[in-house]
Amino acid sequence: MKHQLKKIKLLLALPFLIILTGCWDQTGLDDQVFVIGIGMDKAEEKGKINITYLIANPEVGSSTQASANNEEAMMTVTIQASDFISMRNNANSVIAREISYDLLRVILVSEELAKEEEFIRYLYTSEKDREIKRNVHLVVTKEKAEEFFKKNSPKFLSRPHKFYENMIGRAIQVGIVPNSELHQFFRITEEDANAFLAIYATSDIEKEKNKYRISENDAVAGNVKIKGETNNSQFLGAAVFLEGKMIGKMTGVENRIVMLLNDTSDVSDILTVVPDPFDEDYQLTVRITKRQNTEVVMDVNSKPPRIHATLPLTIDVLTDPSMSNPVEDKEKIEEVKKSFERFLEEKAMKVVTKTQEEFKVEPFGWSLYARKEFKTLREYMDFDWMKTYPDMKIDVDINLRFGKFGKQPKTPSYEGIRD
Amino acid sequence: MKQTEGKIGIREYTAIIMLSVGTKLTDDTPTVLFNSAKNSAWISLILIALLSIVPIWFLVKVFSVHQDKNLHDLNVYLFGKVLGHIISVGMLAFGFSALVLDSAIYVDIISSMYFTKTPSIAIYVVLVIVCGYGAKRGLQHIGSTAWLTLFYLKITLLFALAFAFYKGNTKLIFPLWGPGYWEIVKTAGSKMSIFADFYYLGIIAPMIDSFKSFKKGAFVAFAVVVPEILLALMIYVMLFDFTSIEVISYPFHEMILYISIGFLTNVETFFLPFWLVAAFVRFAFYFYLVLILFGAIFKIKEYEYLVPVISILVIFLGVFPKSAAFTIPGLREWMLTILSPMFFLLPCFMWLIAKVRGDFKNETSAQKN
Repeated sequence: MKHQLKKIKLLLALPFLIILTGCWDQTGLDDQVFVIGIGMDKAEEKGKINITYLIANPEVGSSTQASANNEEAMMTVTIQASDFISMRNNANSVIAREISYDLLRVILVSEELAKEEEFIRYLYTSEKDREIKRNVHLVVTKEKAEEFFKKNSPKFLSRPHKFYENMIGRAIQVGIVPNSELHQFFRITEEDANAFLAIYATSDIEKEKNKYRISENDAVAGNVKIKGETNNSQFLGAAVFLEGKMIGKMTGVENRIVMLLNDTSDVSDILTVVPDPFDEDYQLTVRITKRQNTEVVMDVNSKPPRIHATLPLTIDVLTDPSMSNPVEDKEKIEEVKKSFERFLEEKAMKVVTKTQEEFKVEPFGWSLYARKEFKTLREYMDFDWMKTYPDMKIDVDINLRFGKFGKQPKTPSYEGIRD
Repeated sequence: MKQTEGKIGIREYTAIIMLSVGTKLTDDTPTVLFNSAKNSAWISLILIALLSIVPIWFLVKVFSVHQDKNLHDLNVYLFGKVLGHIISVGMLAFGFSALVLDSAIYVDIISSMYFTKTPSIAIYVVLVIVCGYGAKRGLQHIGSTAWLTLFYLKITLLFALAFAFYKGNTKLIFPLWGPGYWEIVKTAGSKMSIFADFYYLGIIAPMIDSFKSFKKGAFVAFAVVVPEILLALMIYVMLFDFTSIEVISYPFHEMILYISIGFLTNVETFFLPFWLVAAFVRFAFYFYLVLILFGAIFKIKEYEYLVPVISILVIFLGVFPKSAAFTIPGLREWMLTILSPMFFLLPCFMWLIAKVRGDFKNETSAQKN
């Protein structure tokens, strides 16, 4: 009898096995296709946009090579749709499997659409979808996003999710593009005090010679001449967003300065050139690292309000093309330091002036410091940071310290070798 | 009734409270606070915690002289037969509504954040079956489950919060006083019932091995849970800022969807099972409280037979609202507001009556002897 009861109990437990399969949301990996990038372009019809999917082929580049040697690593699909969510089903007319956004890495927007007032309506649908995560990066492309996806063909890293992850990750580390997570976009847009910076990219490289910029990174994507058989798209510079609408561009160098001044960024590896104080024909390569957070002192009560930012930097001087050996001479070091500080302060002030005059909004995150000066949200709102910013008196100080002078600090003197 | 005969020790008891109150930071309780106290919700919480000490202290005091009685017996003893029963029935009504509304919110979280295609009713049925089964097994089983899983749950939670803190920005807490002092105080006053669970602990008071454990456990759990929720509230603000925090329904889940641990990006699947276990313990405990209280009021000895009835009631009431996403949080906020003064005043009255009756004198003289 007892034995039988046990059997019955076991039988009753069997239906629970059905639960283990994960109910209705169970989907096998084989039944899904993974969208790595979504492109947004302007459509002719109002209330619609052209959405492009960049879909990865999971079989290429994996260990199960045998089955998919000749297949493409990725494909693109463009359809006119109202939003990302309905697009999922629209795309099923050409794609055989269920569309998943679980591995989504980037959302690309054409500059044309980003400059529209309407743009924000479409982007905010991404906040509603559970699979679109807040750590997706927003990228603005000079051409149509659709074209960018098609033209972008990295020579290595043919698997698209790896390409975007590495390309964006590295570019953020060296500071030539901003960290443009959707999370930051939403936060900054809703706070309504700062400018949001998005990554700027293009595969539409300028053909005319006079449109190239001189300095390597002081340009936006598309303006740098790179020869050789590499990828034909560039990620460089930033698109400036004010209240969810693109209003301008910043070059790679300008972006670096913003990243250095803004404490929330994680730029960690900056190599750049500074004019050599001993020989104007040459430039010194330096590595800039931030010692600690920017020190910001502000006086919001004075009219106009004042901001004084001190940026503590450590500079490693890595080259010495004039071969003047500043390390050995205290006076020379002092001179180098002064000229660097002057040069960097000038550069930083130029960016600050640009934001005050051209964009009329700041991307440095200084409003966060201002918050401490107010007791309640109402006082802070009444101050209206965005309106006051263009008139503020701002100065930037560089507090410079020298780090290393390369692997071997001393160089033989130029004259010594040439005599 | 052999399953519920045994008493639980301080470990299990503390673990149950820590899980059932601690998990509140993962549902929409933070949103309720953020709605009115904005970025200063954490200051409100400090006030709530300070205020809550008063009723909890009085409650413990009253139980110190009535160690063999549960909350219902005590209500009848102190307030008289009629009023005592009315109060107990009222408590039952609130306890049951809490079970229904909170579980409805958990179902909404699961169905909107994780299993988007599964019908809510299926999730509800599974949740209630698991929790009803836990409640039927009795306090000892709930307690040992809570104790077994406590450290894993708290450690994973701490991990999630630490990573979120790393992603967030401490400056976002400012301006410190958010919507103004008055709003902060008002929020604290009207939402202090988020710690009302401590009042309901009286129901299981005689089932804890000693009064000392009851008292110590309640205060230890309180001292752990308050900083935990406080930390979470601050970290949510640091991560989402005062503007977004109002539109996000479930900040904890938005947080674990956003953070990434090193190269691992989709970490929510790692946190989800731990959170689910905590939810099971919480609702099994609520379910159990409702059962016991119901049994005590209507003098039903074999109250485990009530499990199927209450399960079905919970499911039907839970899926009944037409658009759960809007009505349930509204109802829940409303309930919290009503419950707040009751949570504060009832223990005070109980203590007052006990004092007038001279119960404490007996105790002190008994102790002296």
